[in-house]
Amino acid sequence: MKKYFQNKRNRRGFREFLYILPFLILVAVFSYYPLYGWVYAFFDYKPPFPLSMDQFVGLKWFKSMVDNPVKLMQILKVLRNTFAMSGLSLLFSWFPMIFAVFLNEIKCVPFKKFVQTVTTLPNFISWVLVYSIAYCLLNSTGVVNSVLMNLGIIDSPQLFLQSEEHVWFKMWVWLTWKNAGWSAIMYIAAITGIDGELIEAAKVDGATRMQIIRHITIPSILPTYFVLVMLSLANFLSNGMEQYFVFENAFNKESIQVLDLYVYNLAMGNGGYSLSTAISILKSVVSVLLLCCTNGISKLIRGEGFI
Amino acid sequence: MKSKKVLSVLLATAMIISTLAGCGGGADTQGTADSSQSAGTQEAAPGSDSQEGESAEGSSGSAAAGDLLSIEIYDVAANYQGVQSGWFDKVVKDRFNMELNIIAPQVAGDAVFQTRASSGNLGDILVLERADFADCVEAGLVKDISADISNYPNLMEYKDQIDTLNNGLPGNSGQTYGIPSEMTNTSPTSYTQDVIYSSPMLRWDLYSELGCPEIADLDGLLDVLEDMMEAHPTNESGDPAYPFSLWADWDGGDGMLGIANVVQLTTWYGEKIKGSAILKADNTFTPLTDKSATYYKILHFLNEAQRRGLVDPDSGTQDWNSAVAKMSAGQVYLMWYSWQVGFWNSQDRLKAGNAFIFTPVKDQIYYADADSYYGGTRVFAVGSQVEGEKYERIMKFLDWYASPEGLTFQHDGIEGFNYSIGDDGKFTLMNDNALMDNLPVPEEYGGGGYNDGNNAINQWIVAAISTNPNSGESYSSQYWSTYKEATMTDMKKEWQEKFDAEEPVDYMKKNNVLLISPNVSVSLPSDSSDISVIRNQCNDTLCDYSWRMIFAKDDAEFDAMWDEMCTQMDGFGFQELYNADVEKYQIELDAKLAVGK
Repeated sequence: MKKYFQNKRNRRGFREFLYILPFLILVAVFSYYPLYGWVYAFFDYKPPFPLSMDQFVGLKWFKSMVDNPVKLMQILKVLRNTFAMSGLSLLFSWFPMIFAVFLNEIKCVPFKKFVQTVTTLPNFISWVLVYSIAYCLLNSTGVVNSVLMNLGIIDSPQLFLQSEEHVWFKMWVWLTWKNAGWSAIMYIAAITGIDGELIEAAKVDGATRMQIIRHITIPSILPTYFVLVMLSLANFLSNGMEQYFVFENAFNKESIQVLDLYVYNLAMGNGGYSLSTAISILKSVVSVLLLCCTNGISKLIRGEGFI
Repeated sequence: MKSKKVLSVLLATAMIISTLAGCGGGADTQGTADSSQSAGTQEAAPGSDSQEGESAEGSSGSAAAGDLLSIEIYDVAANYQGVQSGWFDKVVKDRFNMELNIIAPQVAGDAVFQTRASSGNLGDILVLERADFADCVEAGLVKDISADISNYPNLMEYKDQIDTLNNGLPGNSGQTYGIPSEMTNTSPTSYTQDVIYSSPMLRWDLYSELGCPEIADLDGLLDVLEDMMEAHPTNESGDPAYPFSLWADWDGGDGMLGIANVVQLTTWYGEKIKGSAILKADNTFTPLTDKSATYYKILHFLNEAQRRGLVDPDSGTQDWNSAVAKMSAGQVYLMWYSWQVGFWNSQDRLKAGNAFIFTPVKDQIYYADADSYYGGTRVFAVGSQVEGEKYERIMKFLDWYASPEGLTFQHDGIEGFNYSIGDDGKFTLMNDNALMDNLPVPEEYGGGGYNDGNNAINQWIVAAISTNPNSGESYSSQYWSTYKEATMTDMKKEWQEKFDAEEPVDYMKKNNVLLISPNVSVSLPSDSSDISVIRNQCNDTLCDYSWRMIFAKDDAEFDAMWDEMCTQMDGFGFQELYNADVEKYQIELDAKLAVGK
C-alpha cells in the first residue's frame, strides 16, 4: 500500500479519484440505490407491513398488466398517448431552433432582450399556476368565453378545458409556450459560437439574410440540434407528469394519461405500489433500449455515438 | 479578479440560503393555503365549531410540566400540515407545555403513510382509519396502552366503547390499543341531530316565491329548480347562478366508489353505498353497477339536470374551493350536506328568510347513520416508540382531549370570544362567523385568525352532539336553547307550519321516511393488494364515465356509456371486488341487524 503511494503517478491518480468521488457517491445514492425499490414489484406489498411480512409473488404484477383485453387496451391507450405527445414534441423540436435563429436576427437590442425575457419567463412558472391561469382564461365565465360571447361568435360558453378534442395538440401548445424560450437558450449560445468571418465572407459574396441563415447559421447549429434530439429520444417514454396531472379531468383522461401519470395514479391513488413499480421497471428497460438504439443510429449516420 | 471571486462566493451563498429559505417558506404557504381549505372540508357545520369553555374543573389541565415537548401527530383527518398555531396552540401549551406537529397525509399525499410505516415510527399520536389501525397494530406500530388507560378518568367514561373497539381486533386477547373517535354519550340506536347528513335543501325565499309547490319526485325537484333559475338567473351581484355546482376532487372518498356528488345523494332513497356495493333498504346488497339501484338513478338525475341547463358548466373542471366560493356568493340553489349550508346560512339570513332549509320530496326515504355511540371511522392511538415521560404526557393530553373542558374548546371555541355562559349555565353563541370569516382572536387568547388557530387535528374523541355535563346541553351550538330561540325566525315558523314539524328530522320521523342504521363497532379487514388495485382502477373508470354521463346529450348516449363502463369495470375485476366488499360489509350488516332486534 505504502509502496503504491510512493509512486507519484499513483498518488496523483488517487487524488484525482478523490475529486470525482463526491459525484460518484451522488450518482450511487440518487441513481443506483433507488433501483433497490424494484424489489417491490415482486411482492404483494401493502403498507404498513414491511417487505418481510409481505408475500413474494414473482412476476404476478407483470402478468396482471396484460391478463385481459380491457387491461391490455388501457396499457395500449396509455402508450399511445405517451408516444403521441412525445412524438409531437419531437416532430416540432426544430421550433426552438428556428425561434433562436430569428431572435438572433433582431437588430434592436432592447426589443430582442424583451422578447427573450418574456419567452423565457414561463419556464419558471409551475404547472399548477399555469393551470390556474388556464382555468381563469377558459372557464365558462372566463375572459375567452366572455369576449367570444360579447362579439357574438358563440352564444353559449365553450368548455375548452373539458373537451376531449385535440388534447395532444393543446398540450403541445401549452408545453411550447412554457418551454420554447428556455430551449432556445442552447441554440442562441451555439449561434454566438459561429465564426464571424464566415458570415462576413458570405456578405461580401452578396448573400442575403435568408441565405446566410440557410447556408451558415442553421448548418452550424445542426450538431447541437441532433444531440438534443437524441437525448430527448431516450426520454421518449418519460414526458413528465405534472403538466398532464394538472390538466387531467374525467373528460380528457382517455387522451391525456401518459405513462408517468398512469404510474402515479395507480400508486398514489390507492396504494397499487407493486403494480406501478412493475410498470415503471418496464418503462426504464424500454428507455435504456431506446437510448441504445438512437446511439446506434447516430453511429451509423454521423459516425460517432454520444455515449 | 478578486472582486469577481468575492462576488461569486456571495452569489453562491445567497443561492443556498434562498434555496433553504424556499423550503421553509414553502411549508408555511402550504399551511395557509390549507387552513383556508380546512374551513371547507371540516364536516361539522361552522356554527357548531365556534365556541370555547374554560370550565372550572381543569381535570388533568394544569399538567404543564417539564420542557416544551414537540409531539408528532400522524393524522389522516387533518387538512393542515405543520405545527399547530394560534389560539388552540396557546390552549395546549398553557396546559401541557406541548407543541403539536401535525403530519397530514391529506396534504402530504398517501405515500407519507408508506414511508413512515416502513421507518417503524408513524408518529407519537396516531389518528388512523379503522382498517389501517388494525394493520398497524399487527405491524407493531401501535403501543399497547392497556396497563395505563384505567388511570385516566375522562377516557374511562367511554370504557364500554373503547373495549368494544379493541376486542373486535383480530386475535386480540384483552389488550387496549386504540380509542375510537367521534363517540357519543347517547346510545347506538338514537338519532339526536335535527338535520340528517344528506337531504335536499332549498333556499326558502326562492321556494316560497314559487308558492311552495309540493315536490313529488326528482323530476318535480328539477321543475322547481328550473323555475327558480328562470326567475333568478344570477345572484344579487349579477354572476350566473345554477341550482347545481359540482366539484370533482372528492371522488372515491369515504370508502365509497364513485363521484362524491352522486354517492351522497343515494341516501335519499334509503340506500347506502358500501365500497362497490349498495346496501338497499331491505338490507340486501346489490352491485353499484345495477341499473335499478340508486347510483344509476342519481347519476341520471344529474344528467337530466344538466340537459335542462341547471348544472354549472364548470362542474367537471372546478375544485371544491371554487365550488365553495360560488356557494358563499349565492350562485347555488340546491345543497345537500347538513354542514354545507354553513357556507350560506347565517343568523341574519335566517332572519331575512333567504337561508337554505330541508324541503321534502314525497317519494324519498332517507338513510341516516345513528349517533356514532361506538365512534366514527377513525381511531386515536399512541405510537409504539413512545416511552417514559413523553408517554405519560401524551396520555394526559388525550385524557384532556376527551374531557368536558377539552371538548368545549374543540367544539365551541373560546369563552368570551365564541360564547358566553349565562347565570343559568347555558351557553350563548357569539361571533358566529368566527370560522367562516377567520375573525381575529384577541391577543390574550393567543391572537391570529380564529380559523387559522383552530384545532388542526380536525378529529375529536367525542362528537359534538354529546351532552356537555357543565351546561346540560350538547357541545354543538346549534342545539343550545339560546340558539334555537335566536333562530326561531319567521322563516322557521313558516316552515314548521307548512310541514307540521319542529325540525327536519321530526318531519321525517312523523312521515316515516327515515331509516336509521344503528351504530356498531366492527373491525373490517383491509384490502389485499390485489383488491386495492382493482378498487382503484374500477373507481377511476366509474368516476370518469360518471362525469361524462352527467354531460351526456341524451338517454341513448347515457345508456351506451353506462354499458361501456360496466364492460370496462368487469375487465378490471369488478365482480371480484364486489364479492370481497359484500363479504366485508356483511360483517357490519349482521352486527347492525343484531342491534336492531
